Amino acid sequence: MSAIDDRIREVLKEHGRLPIEVGSLRDDDDLYEHGLTSHASVNVMLALEDEFDVEFPDVLLRKGTFQSIAAIRSALVSLGVEVS
Amino acid sequence: MNLLVGIDIQPIDEVDSSLKTFGSRYRRLLFTDRELETCGDNSRTSSRLAARFAAKEAVLKILDIQEVVPSWRSIEVGGISDCRPEINLYDVAAELARLQGIRDVFVSFTHSGGVAVATVVASAWSQSEGLSP
Repeated sequence: MSAIDDRIREVLKEHGRLPIEVGSLRDDDDLYEHGLTSHASVNVMLALEDEFDVEFPDVLLRKGTFQSIAAIRSALVSLGVEVS
Repeated sequence: MNLLVGIDIQPIDEVDSSLKTFGSRYRRLLFTDRELETCGDNSRTSSRLAARFAAKEAVLKILDIQEVVPSWRSIEVGGISDCRPEINLYDVAAELARLQGIRDVFVSFTHSGGVAVATVVASAWSQSEGLSP
């Protein structure tokens, strides 16, 4: 698992309010199906901005951006965050 | 004419926690200036903002969202009090409503017992009825 994934999982653990262990999630698991609410996704987004020092543009403020850990990683990479 | 109904529930403590953690960034991402002014900054702010967030989510449930998603700020709970709220749509939300023939949107919400609940009802007119806005 890469460093970026670890940091994403920490953010999800702290702000995602998921009813399951974040560690048990696979990268492509659907976070909404596992209990991520729209409101929690807002918190996750704001926490990701703090964690990675980025700003999500309007075009990324959509459900699909936070659908899975892999989707979040892809969005962060598109904002210039390095994977390693 | 079709009637569309949306409903949503929002725990108030989650909004309270978000306000404390993210402050103005959270407020500005989700709520319009008018909403923030209406809800003030006092002991009732979290419950009133939770009701408004639930209302926005309820509206999103009746819109036929495809690729472009309306921002939360494009769905505004107006009105001067929580007793007679109204929904104002702007930008993408307004365009989606127009395309669906939605003319009127009504909202009612309550906040009690730690949660806020909002219900939205909209009337939608089809093109064939000749009453599309």
